[in-house]
Amino acid sequence: MKTFLKILLASSLVVTAGAKEIKLLNVSYDPTRELYQEYNAAFVKHWKARTGDDVVVSQSHGGSGKQAQSVINGLEADVVTLALAYDIDAISQKADLLPAGWQKRLPDNSTPYTSTIVFLVRKGNPKHIQDWDDVVKPGVSVVTPNPKTSGGARWAYLAAYAYALEKNGHDEAKARDFVKRLYKNVPVLDSGARGSTVTFAQRGIGDVLLAWENEAHLALKEFGADKFEIVAPSLSILAEPPVAVVDKVDKRHGTLAVAQAYLEYLYSDEGQEIAAENFYRPRNQAIAEKYAANFSRLKLVTLDQEFGSWTKAQATHFADGGVFDQIYQP
Amino acid sequence: MNPKQKSKLGRILPTILIGTSAAFIFLAAAHGQTTNSADAAPVKIPADDASGSAAGSATVASTEAAEIETLKKEIQTLDQKVQKLEQQREVEQPAVAESNQEQIQELDQKVRILERRRELDKEAADAAAKTQPKLTLGQNGFSFGSADSNFIASLHGVIQADSRSFINDGGGTAGKNTFLLRRARPIFTGTVFHDFDFNFTPDFGGSGVVIYDAFLNYRFNSALQVEGGRFKSPVGLESLQTDAWTAFNERSLATGLVPNRDIGFELHGDLFAGSVSYAAGIFNGAPDYSTPTAPAQDVDDNKAFAGRLFFQPWKATSIVPLQGLGFGVGGSYESDRGTAADLTSGYKTDGQQNFFTYAGTVANGVHWRISPQGYYYYGPFSLLGEYVISDQRVTAGAVSANLRNTAWEVTAGWVLTGEDATYNGVTPRHPFDPRAGDWGAWQVVARYADLNIDNAAFPTFATAGSASEAKAWSAGVNWYLNRDIRIDASFSRTTFEGGGGTAGLGPITRQPENTIFTRVQVAF
Repeated sequence: MKTFLKILLASSLVVTAGAKEIKLLNVSYDPTRELYQEYNAAFVKHWKARTGDDVVVSQSHGGSGKQAQSVINGLEADVVTLALAYDIDAISQKADLLPAGWQKRLPDNSTPYTSTIVFLVRKGNPKHIQDWDDVVKPGVSVVTPNPKTSGGARWAYLAAYAYALEKNGHDEAKARDFVKRLYKNVPVLDSGARGSTVTFAQRGIGDVLLAWENEAHLALKEFGADKFEIVAPSLSILAEPPVAVVDKVDKRHGTLAVAQAYLEYLYSDEGQEIAAENFYRPRNQAIAEKYAANFSRLKLVTLDQEFGSWTKAQATHFADGGVFDQIYQP
Repeated sequence: MNPKQKSKLGRILPTILIGTSAAFIFLAAAHGQTTNSADAAPVKIPADDASGSAAGSATVASTEAAEIETLKKEIQTLDQKVQKLEQQREVEQPAVAESNQEQIQELDQKVRILERRRELDKEAADAAAKTQPKLTLGQNGFSFGSADSNFIASLHGVIQADSRSFINDGGGTAGKNTFLLRRARPIFTGTVFHDFDFNFTPDFGGSGVVIYDAFLNYRFNSALQVEGGRFKSPVGLESLQTDAWTAFNERSLATGLVPNRDIGFELHGDLFAGSVSYAAGIFNGAPDYSTPTAPAQDVDDNKAFAGRLFFQPWKATSIVPLQGLGFGVGGSYESDRGTAADLTSGYKTDGQQNFFTYAGTVANGVHWRISPQGYYYYGPFSLLGEYVISDQRVTAGAVSANLRNTAWEVTAGWVLTGEDATYNGVTPRHPFDPRAGDWGAWQVVARYADLNIDNAAFPTFATAGSASEAKAWSAGVNWYLNRDIRIDASFSRTTFEGGGGTAGLGPITRQPENTIFTRVQVAF
């Protein structure tokens, strides 16, 4: 018994002496604060139980495009969890911090959860907004972030454009006119999705917010279901926010193994449950069915279907001089 | 009855009453003609009008009835009009109210949008400001730095325009009355990544450009710093004082025995809240107060060690009269190997004339210095003093000797306008502005200094005309117009003794040197 206790004591001392503190920085897009707050706590507990090491995860949030630029400019992100693959591609191409084939390293093109764009309207829906056509009507004030800086805004723009294409037999001119009318109704462009939620829900501006689905649910939870309601349009886009380790930074910090495990755990049952509870559509089908009531039923089109690829979409619509610059007059 | 109905009734009723009253008046008038006949004086109806009266009465009655009927119809019409107007008003009022409400909501949205745009613009401006370089310009010069303060560069400067006038020189002194640009130094300083300071100071005042300072200083903290490059050797107290803040135009005779600038590395710092300062370095080795045109690289393999320990025990206490008291000791040690470059080019008077130079002599052996030193500053009063021993082994031909030269000096000052005197100058409380009756700060200063050359230097090691001792007293007035501009005037008298080498005292040393100095200085 005494021998056993000595061994136990020695082991705990060894573990304690060997246990180290590992710091990770997760650079994420704007609306994922609540998701990663909960997820980080779960991962820390999981990693401690598995290895005995303490992990401290710091978060940085902002418009996806802005966040990507920050990483390119030197922000030492161990992992990036951004709104669209194009932003992570930019980090790879401009700063060479991770390989070009990063997206193949995790399942489902490195997107452990998906989302879409819905409408958040005032309670009672006084402007009777049911679909995209209602959003472009004169007299309807629309809140959405700036597609130049926000990933969510780019998804929203593409969702509207996709709707117009589907409705008008893929007539590009009509689709362009459609988004032009949409942005004519936008009085304020925030830099990120969270800012737009503040504009709509706290500042009381606008009749409709083009929101990430999770952000819309969060607004109901935070501000009260008696103030707002969610309207699902007839068609929206399947948003696939990807995640990636930033290899060069991880090698410098010695955090590669933990960073990889951090992202892999998003695909675990616990990770998928946390995503669903925070109104992100999980990839795990069983968990998706369990939380089906959380999500609107609507027709979802993919970016590849409608626009080919992010590279094409970015070049056509969001690059300097692209369609957005042509149709939007501040 | 609700208020609306009351209001309606209130509008209809007078109309009805007016109409009805009109009807009654006509009726009463008609009736009065028939009924009042009993009260009225009987109207004699002519006999032949009696039958005509009955027919006439009937006609009058029917006329009155028709009139009444007409009035009734008019009243009815009026009533209908009033009702119609009331109805119209009831319809229009909610529409107007709704329109007003919509306008209010629209305006409210516009105001909210403007406020939110302003909020976002401010956020963007704040974010942009974090990346904008910072620029400042003030009495301490011009400085600019990156937003994250990782790169800061500053430009300071010292310009000193002097005059020297030698008087009563009996025709023997070689001193020339002159104006001169004593110093014209742009001083480039900066800090990179918070802990690395640099300094680059060229001087354009002389006949050519000379680099005075060029060094990098790493600050681990205030107590531990490492400096490397070309900078002042840590020995002499007056020597270490910034050129802009010395009491007189030229430093004293005592500073003639300490090293000036040297090239090397030094560990230094302040301990115990600045109560103790230390410096210890390794250098190429510099002769006694050589000009900066001393060799840019060492002339031999030997290195010089120089250091200083300075105490200001009451600096951080509340004992105000003792806060400005500081004392310490500086020293150096090196071993020279047979070079003239390790010897001073000459010991100079206040007027910058050589009163002693070595002849055919080289430094050849150990050269050590020690300098106990101290100062005291209290309010407008200042006192600075040091004593220096410079002991050097020299050789001239086959003859060698250890020459021990000594010097001391005391400088005192008093700021007449009451400002505090400090080691780093005087800051006027009221900068010069004659329109406002402000005249800056005025200081009187006095100094006595003595430099004694070892008698063993004569005659073998000294040039002809060299003196073995120089004594100088000086007095002056310094006018600080503001922190950046200063005007000085002083007088210095130096007398010489002994020496003479092989031919007695020379043109410079056979009579006292009397010099009047003036200076206009800009330092920022």
